[in-house]
Formats: sequence, C-alpha cells, structure tokens
Amino acid sequence: MELNLTRVDYMQVGVTSPRTMKLLPEKKHKAPQRVAVADQTGVLQCFNMKKGEAQVAFKTLPGTKITRVELGGALGSPSDKVFIATGSEVRGFTKKGKQFLGYDTNLTESIKTMWVSGSHLFLGGNYIFNHYIDCKDEDYYLCSDRINDVLCLPMDRIQEVTPVLACQDRVLRVLNKSNMLYEFEVTGPPQSLALFSEEGGSQISVTINNQTIVVYLNRTTPSLRWGVPNDKRLGGILCMDNFDMSGDGIEDLIVGRDDGTIEVFGYDEADEPIPKLVCESISSLQGGVVASQGYEEIVACTYAGWIQGLTTEPQQKKAGPGDMVPLGADTQNKLSTLKSEIDTLQAKVLQERDKYHIAAMSDKAISAVPQFDVNDKFSLNRDDASYILSIEVKAAIDNVLLQSDVPIDLLDTEKNSAVVSYSSCDTENGNFLLATYRCQANTTRLELKIRSIEGQYGTLQAYITPRLQPKTCQVRQYKIKPLSLHQRTHVLDDTRPMNTLKLTGQFSLAEIHSWVSYCLPEIPERTPPGDSINFYFLSTFLDTQLDCLYKKGEGTFRSDNISTISILKDVLSKEATRRKINLNISYELEENSIPDTLRRIHPKLEYQLLLAKKVQLIDALKELQIHEGGGLDFMSPEYRQILEESETLKDEYKKQPCHLERLYGMITDLFIDKFKFKGTM
Amino acid sequence: MLVPVFTLKLNHKINPRMVTVGKYDGIHPNLTAATTAGKVFIHNPHSRNLSGGRASELSLDSDISLLSINKGISAVAAGSLDPVGVSDMLLVGTQTDLLAYDVQNNTDVFYKEAPDGVNAIAIGKLGSIDSKLAISGGNCALQGYDIEGNDLFWTVTGDNVCSLALSDFAGEGISELIVGSEDYDIRVFREDEIIAEMTETEAITALCPMTAGRFGYALANGTVGVYNKTSRYWRIKSKNQAVSIHSFDLNGDGVDELITGWTNGKIDARSDRTGEVVFKDNMSSSVAGIVEGDYRSNGNTELICCSVEGEVKGFLPATQEQKGNLMDVNIEQEKVREMSQRKQNLLLELKNYEENAKMGIIPANTQLQTSLSIRLDAEGQEPHVDLFVCTTNDTVLRAVLIFAEGIFEGESHVVHPNLNQLNNTLHVPIYPPKDVPVDLHIKAFVGCKSSTQFHVFELTRQLPRFSMYTPCTEQVPEPKSSVTFTVNERVQRIVLWINQHFLLNNELTCDGDLNAGFMSLRGSGPIFIQMKSGGQVTLRTDDMDLAGTSSRQ
Repeated sequence: MELNLTRVDYMQVGVTSPRTMKLLPEKKHKAPQRVAVADQTGVLQCFNMKKGEAQVAFKTLPGTKITRVELGGALGSPSDKVFIATGSEVRGFTKKGKQFLGYDTNLTESIKTMWVSGSHLFLGGNYIFNHYIDCKDEDYYLCSDRINDVLCLPMDRIQEVTPVLACQDRVLRVLNKSNMLYEFEVTGPPQSLALFSEEGGSQISVTINNQTIVVYLNRTTPSLRWGVPNDKRLGGILCMDNFDMSGDGIEDLIVGRDDGTIEVFGYDEADEPIPKLVCESISSLQGGVVASQGYEEIVACTYAGWIQGLTTEPQQKKAGPGDMVPLGADTQNKLSTLKSEIDTLQAKVLQERDKYHIAAMSDKAISAVPQFDVNDKFSLNRDDASYILSIEVKAAIDNVLLQSDVPIDLLDTEKNSAVVSYSSCDTENGNFLLATYRCQANTTRLELKIRSIEGQYGTLQAYITPRLQPKTCQVRQYKIKPLSLHQRTHVLDDTRPMNTLKLTGQFSLAEIHSWVSYCLPEIPERTPPGDSINFYFLSTFLDTQLDCLYKKGEGTFRSDNISTISILKDVLSKEATRRKINLNISYELEENSIPDTLRRIHPKLEYQLLLAKKVQLIDALKELQIHEGGGLDFMSPEYRQILEESETLKDEYKKQPCHLERLYGMITDLFIDKFKFKGTM
Repeated sequence: MLVPVFTLKLNHKINPRMVTVGKYDGIHPNLTAATTAGKVFIHNPHSRNLSGGRASELSLDSDISLLSINKGISAVAAGSLDPVGVSDMLLVGTQTDLLAYDVQNNTDVFYKEAPDGVNAIAIGKLGSIDSKLAISGGNCALQGYDIEGNDLFWTVTGDNVCSLALSDFAGEGISELIVGSEDYDIRVFREDEIIAEMTETEAITALCPMTAGRFGYALANGTVGVYNKTSRYWRIKSKNQAVSIHSFDLNGDGVDELITGWTNGKIDARSDRTGEVVFKDNMSSSVAGIVEGDYRSNGNTELICCSVEGEVKGFLPATQEQKGNLMDVNIEQEKVREMSQRKQNLLLELKNYEENAKMGIIPANTQLQTSLSIRLDAEGQEPHVDLFVCTTNDTVLRAVLIFAEGIFEGESHVVHPNLNQLNNTLHVPIYPPKDVPVDLHIKAFVGCKSSTQFHVFELTRQLPRFSMYTPCTEQVPEPKSSVTFTVNERVQRIVLWINQHFLLNNELTCDGDLNAGFMSLRGSGPIFIQMKSGGQVTLRTDDMDLAGTSSRQ
C-alpha cells in the first residue's frame, strides 16, 4: 500500500478539543463534502472549499466550550445532522445551520463524550453514563473510573442497544441497559473508540495511550483481533477514523497522534505510511473529500485549530525553467487579503498597546491578562520507565522554566529543538532542578522526558511563557508520586511470596483512598463505590507487583518487593501524622520474597550487563577489524556476532540510558530495606 | 539549492573534524580522514598505486589505503607547500608531533616534535613570508614550517588553540591568521602581531574563511555565526553542536554561503549576510567533516559531507533548469501559513487587551527595578556582583531568569525562592569569571502569592567589563609590575571611561593627576590606574592578563 499525500491548509479556528471536527456526508459519491468544526470558544462552523477558498455556510455565536461533535440522523438516512456537546447541554443543527434541538440534560457533570445513533443519544460525563431515547432518560450507569469514550454497537446489526464504554481503569465495559454485560481488559487506559462494522458483531478499534488495538465485540464474547505496538515511540493517540484511502474497497484505519503524526493502517495488513504533519497535536481527523471532487483526503484538525487536508490530489506545479515559481492567482489573492487583514489588525494592536501603556501610568488601573490555554500531558512511558511531559500552546512558546523539588533527571528527546540550560540549584530553597528551555521560533509544542526515582516524591513545576504581548507565564504543576513507576493492572500473580503491610486506625475510606492516590498513579480521584477497594499494580521497571486492599479503618498492602512496602510505609505514616490520625502499622516480612525478587531481577541484570559489555567491546573489535584488514576468521564466533549486530546493540543501549545504574540502585535499596524491616539497621 | 550527486559508504569510522581533501598526484582529489586506531585513510577511487612504507592497502577490491601513525591523531590537513603548488602533501598532527607526508611517493617529508601538541593545522601563505607554511596550533603556541621543515614562524597566543584559518582579514591582499582558542577569544595575527581580538562565549571549535574578509565560526556550545572583520553579522544557537563549517557558493551568486555540519547529522547552508537557512539535508549520524573537491573528475566542484560512521555524500549546486522544479511545492502554503500565524498572534494579543479580567491581576503601574552593586560581606558567599531586583509595590517575584552567555554554567541562571519566602525583592549573586561586558537579559515573573499566571517583565542590563573590581578602601602596597603608555586624551576622559567600565557606588571624580586603585574580587590582587596630565598612563598590576585587557581598552 503506497500513498502519496500532500498537505493543504484550509483555515484556522480557535483552540479545539479532541474530536470536534466532522465531514458532512454528500449524496453523490466522491463529491466535495462540508466540514463542521467546533472550538473551545463555543463556535460551531460549517464550511466548504471553493477554488481553494473556505466558504463558511454557517457559524454560531460564541459560548461555552464545545467538547464533542457528532453526526446523526434518522436510521437509514444519511447522518447529516450535527450534534454538539457543550457543558451539560446537547444541541442539534441541520446541515443548513438551523438549530432543531437544544436539550439541557441537567447532568451534574459536564459532558465529555457523546454518541448519536438515530433517536438514541449516549452521553458520558466523568463517571456517569446516560442513555436517552428522544431526549427521555432511559438508562444510567455509574463507572468506578473515568469514562474516556462511549459508543454503541450498530443497531441495524444488533437489535438490542449495546453501548461500550472505554474506562480509564483499562477496561472496556459492555452494557445492557443499566447493567454491565461484561468487562474486557486491555493493556492500557483506552483513549478512544472507533467502529468498523462487520457481519454479526463489530470490530472496534481501541487506542491505548499510544498504541492501537482492534477488538471484536458482540453481546457475548469479546476477542482481540490485532494490535500495533508503538515501536517508533510516536505520541499518544487522540483520534481515529475508518476510511478507504487506498482505494481497494476496504476501509483503512487512520490514526492521529498528539505529536502531529498521522498513520494509515490497512485492516488486513499492518504496513503503513506515516505522513508527518506539523508539530501540533491532532485533535480530530476524518477521511473524506473536501477540496476537489474525486480525490480522497484525510482532513485533520490540530489543537491550535488548523484545519488541514492530506490529499491524494497531486499538487505539482507546472514549473518551467527559471528561478521563481509564479504564485498562483488565487494564492496571490489570498496573500493580499491576509496582508490587508494583518495591517488593520496591526494598527488596532498598536492602538491598544498605547492604551495599555497609558493605563500603566495610572494608579488605579490593574493589568490582568486572560489565561491562555495550555494543552499538557504528563504520562508514564512503559517501555523505558520514564515520564513524558508534553506542553502545547496556541501561540509560539518563548521559554519554559522547569523547577522540581525532588531530584529527577531530564533526558534529551530528539523531537524537541529547544536549547536547554541547567542552572545551579540551591537545595535549601527546595530546588533540585532548575532548567530553562529556550525554544526556536514557531515552536508551539515541546516534549520532554523525565526520569523519576521511586520513593522521591514531590512536584514538578513548569513555567510556560509564550511569545505574546503583554508577556505572561503560566505555572503548571505535575505530581511525582512516591511509587511513580507503578502501573495499574487487573491480574495478580498469587504464587509469588508477598510481604504485607497492615494499617489500622480511625480513618474513613475516603481518607485512606486519598492517601493511596497520593502514593500511586492511575487511581480515580473520586472514592469508588463499595465498602472496600482493591487495586493491583505492576512496577514498569522491575515487574514486581503490589496489591492494595483497603476499607474504613483498615488497609492491607502486599508486594513481593520489600522496597515498595518500605516506601508505602514511610509515606502513609507521614501522611497520617500530618492529619493527626493515629495509625497502627504492622508488617510481615516474607523472607522468601527477597530471593524471589532477586531472581526476577537477575535475568534483566544479566541481560543489561551483557549488553553493556558487548557495547563496550564494539569499538575495540572494530579497530581490530581495521588492523587485520578484512578477514575475521580468527575471531571467536561470539565476537563476530557482536560486530555483526553492533548497530542493533548500540540502538538498544541508547534506548535505555542508565538502565544498569537504576537496577543497581534498586538492588541496593532492596538490601537496605530488608535490614530496615528486620530491625538491624 | 544543492542536489545530491553521489553517496559512498566507506565502512571506516571518521574522527570528527579530521577530514580533508588532497590532490596528492596533482590531479585527483582524495578524501583523507583520521580513523580509529591511530590511522589515516585515503580514499583513492581514481588510481591505485600505494603500498609499502606507512601505507597498506586494505584489500584488492577496496579504494582505501591506510596510513599507520600509531598515535592518537589530533589534526589532519592537506595542501601544497612547494612554491609551484602542483601536488598536495598530507600533514598529520598528534599530541606530540607533526608529520608531513608525501602520499604519492610514500615518504616522510619532515617530522617535527611538537611538545605543545597539534590541535589544528592551516596550510598557505601568511603575511609577507615568502614560502608557504604549514601552521600548527597547540597549547598557547603557533608554529609555521616550510617544505623543508624550517621553523619560519613562531608566536604565542592566549590559550589552547582549537581552530585556525588563513584569510585576508584586512583586505590588503595578504592573508592573516585567525586563531580560535579555549579562552573564548578569536585573535587575528598579521604574522606575529595581533591586529584584532574578539571575545566569544565559548571555546571556538571551528573557523572558516569566507568571501571578502568575512569568516564563519562555531563554538562548543552549539553557536554558529559569521564575522565581518571585527563585527558579528549574525549568530544562531542550537542544542546540537556544529562539528564542521565550510564556505561554499551554492546559488552561484559569487558569494559563499556557510555550510554547517551538526552532531545530530544535520547539514544546513546559511546566507552569510543574514543566517537564513537556504538549504538543509540530513546524514544518518553525526557529521565528521565537510570539504570540497572535484570528486568525479568532470570539472565540477562538489561539496562533500562525511559522517562519523563513514557515510559520504556529494552535492552539486543545482543548475538553472533544475532550480524551478526543486522549489518547494509547499512554498505558497508556507507563506500563507506564516501570514495566518501572524494574524493569529495579533488576534490573540488583541484579545489580551480586550479581556482585561480574570487571572494574574497586578496593578498596572507595577514597575520592575534593578540595580547592580558589589557585595563584599555577604554571609557565606564569596565577594560577588549583586543584581537586586524588586517590584514597586507588594506584588511578589515568583522567579527570576537571567539569560546571559559566558558567565553561567549554561546560558541561563534561575532564582526560584521557596513559596513561603516570596516577597517583592530578590538578590541574584553573579560571579563573572572573565573581564568581559555581558548583557543580562532579565525575565521576572511577577504576580501574587497564589497566582498560577504571572506577568513577565523583561529587561536588559549590561554588566560592565570590570565589574569584579572594587575601589581600594585601605592602603594597599602598589604592585611591582606595570604597563606604561601614552594616550592623547584628557584625564577627564579616562575618568569617564573608568566610571563606565567599573561598578562604582559613587562616581569617580578627579582634578589633576589620576591615581585610582581597585581590588580584584577574584583575589588576583590590586590594580592601580595612574595618569599624569601629559597623557602618560601607568597600569600597575601583577595580573598580566588584566594588564593586557585593560591597556587594550
């Protein structure tokens, strides 16, 4: 499958939320479609392209921010009605722009996700899922963790209404009315869902943070079809669509990521071209026809509101010999209108600037600049147990100051081109890291990699200054939790010997829940329903496990890694003391657990040591190769193999810097913690 | 615009900055570079006749011959030393010696001990010296040898030499030697006289002569720029480091562009005037060197880029016909995009003024005040220059960022006080390591204690050259050493100069003869500036570096 795509810019709207752009269907096959897009200023607009110019068909007035756009219509007819979710309200517009529906759901949570099918409306808030038929409340489900996406299996195939929820706690929940049919566990928190219909059931593409899997679901059995691991370390996925780009009659899966890459996968084969867009995260995309009849394209909308097409239409210019390509007449026009717009704006801005400066002289005036939007993400990368911090602003970023009150390491990522500078730190003022990132012109997105140490917890702060007058900066805080390298899981290996930490005292369920969520990532902020709560965790670095079971007045934590228990004990007792709660702490040290954990670390350690040794040898062996001029027969097969694999070995070594040192550190901690618990240290 | 014309994989590592091209037989250019194990390889695709002596042919089907130097190589250069200048000679420098080698005849031409090491080699005519010289730069020393190995030129310079270039700096038809060294200085020598000196912000790792007295330079911190005589045209800084710079005319306008090869494998060509990028390409690993030569023997000079992994790429300037097609098809799009981005920025700014509400409120008349002074008695701190920052009301300073080059470890210094110690004043201690004037770009985050959004106040202060000196308060014995010279100025002018270049609490005034004493905060002793009304100036100090710097002012 070979795709040749060229990029075209259409227009720019305000900052957009994920999945707020849709293409309206056209009756005629491959006829140019209209684009409906909504932004965070609350404006929904619908436009089509005519001779390279965007022509707006309708535009609503600004209001509260729009979080989702979906298309709908009566079953069997084309879905050409636009539904938008804003706050707790759902509005419907015809393709002409007439509002035919304004429905206030009176939900306490604002709507995060929406799915429309005929007269059925499915809404997801943070934790609550609601199903309406003709705007009448039908079903209701309360989730134990955040709902990331909602969809409903196609009703023309499956008679009963079967909604599917993608939840933060790594499961897909399939519902029947207000009850759960079954749960299907996936490898990470699912972010978004897309439907790919098939006889009998439905394939659903699920994106998990930065990988894609396809799951086959019906009312009784789920099965995993295939998954695409994220080998290339691309960013997280925000949106997907199914559309036949390759023209082979089968729909392809298109995926948009937050680092600006778009991928196209064939459903039958997993080989894909990756057209790279700009360095802005893609908030929504869809396949269709927009610019000119007959040419399929991927229309993508970025966070900053750029709407762009990746079209199959060749954009070659008929350039003859000579220096300059004459600019097309329409481009010429476009440029001149833009220029005049800029000029008037410039004049206006100058006027306002003067006004601002005059105001600065008076005593009573205040200067207050509206908060700019920052799209940031701080997520654990499983592969190398490090955190990725991405920051995106609508205007270009001037500089970012990073400050941390715990020791952390900043790693270089190839994706950013900013000049980093470390400042000397004064630890007595709580500064363990002070670094500035000075960005090159036109950088709107910055990605950083951070390595944390378990047991060292605190806050990382980023002061973000965009290149915008009057200059302001915004602080963002990111918690580095005591057990920062742990990840939620749903299975526990019961055969391992486990150490136990038991807490008893006068505390409520909500209190202990808040302490646990203080220690561990991926825990819902809200206390889940029920009398007792049970979570399983896996260390992304050592693959050791942790079992948390707690209820009012009692908490039990079990782990095969004594260091994990030690960290938990320290943090929990500190937290409880801070709130003046008396805790009884008891622990059971399982002697067997230490050799067991060491045995678990051993292969990793051995592998890393061997890798380090091999990498060390590469240069020397290469030198020998040069000295001896070609013939390598005298070398042992082991060395010859190192030489042959030198590139892959080096790559692997580069991928996980300091891995060995981290392992050493963890083994040392294990030793110290063992004796700490035994009371001899 | 450049078009790639050939790529080669040499399967030999190339040491960074040790690549050259020599016409050892007088006709064919051969790519020559230092590789691992103390060897130099010569890529010779045109003829094959090397063997015996130092050279050994790798295998029959290879175009590469290897020279064993058997020491760590530190510099490689090729050029002709004989007056006729037909065939080139290879010069190889190590940390202990310099070898001139005739590749064609496979013999050593001369071999010189170099106790100061050889960090850089330049070949060519220097000033009025008749014969061509091979000039080597080591630790503080510059030495030039002719073809017989006679030592015709010798002088000293400030620090370890990192880079050398020969260029007609003054535009008088003879070449001067430009020397970049580890003390951040670029010095221009007309034979053994220094005619210009420019201070940069890091060690100068590469220099290259360009058209009409201009030259390009690269620093160890990732800066690349162009000087026109003593004034800098432009500079840019990247997070990667420039390994090699080369001048090459790629658009046929008769003016060379600056080609830079970076550690991340990027190659870019920039206009010598503005620094604007006119061409970019990528290698798969770090660039090791950029040279030029007619490598395909068809009369066109190619730009040849080599990577550390032994990948070689040759480029040619595009012909007229190709140019049209090579124009980026997206150029219109780019233009529209750029304009739209500008429009967007203006709209956002307008919105900022219109929506004067919500967050991060501070009184509009808040001002930021800064002052520089010398602090001798701060508790637990060495004597230093103190930058005092305060706001004019009870708003707090959340953090202060100072961007300045050459005085901090990186390019910036951050002061971020604890949340419960926030107030409207901040002291920033500064320890300038050298006597250079520095612009301090100060960014202060001003707001309230609980704000999440702050106003950023930006201003620039200049730190005077001699800010690390304080007037002597008590009697100090005068230093024994001194520099004496005569200037054609009134005493008042010198007093004015002192007031501008020192950090003084009270302006210095003087009637009659001047005698001002200053004490170094770095502990390198006092300096006395004395001047008689006749114009005779005496600088008394035991710090030779300081005497030099201050007398040149």
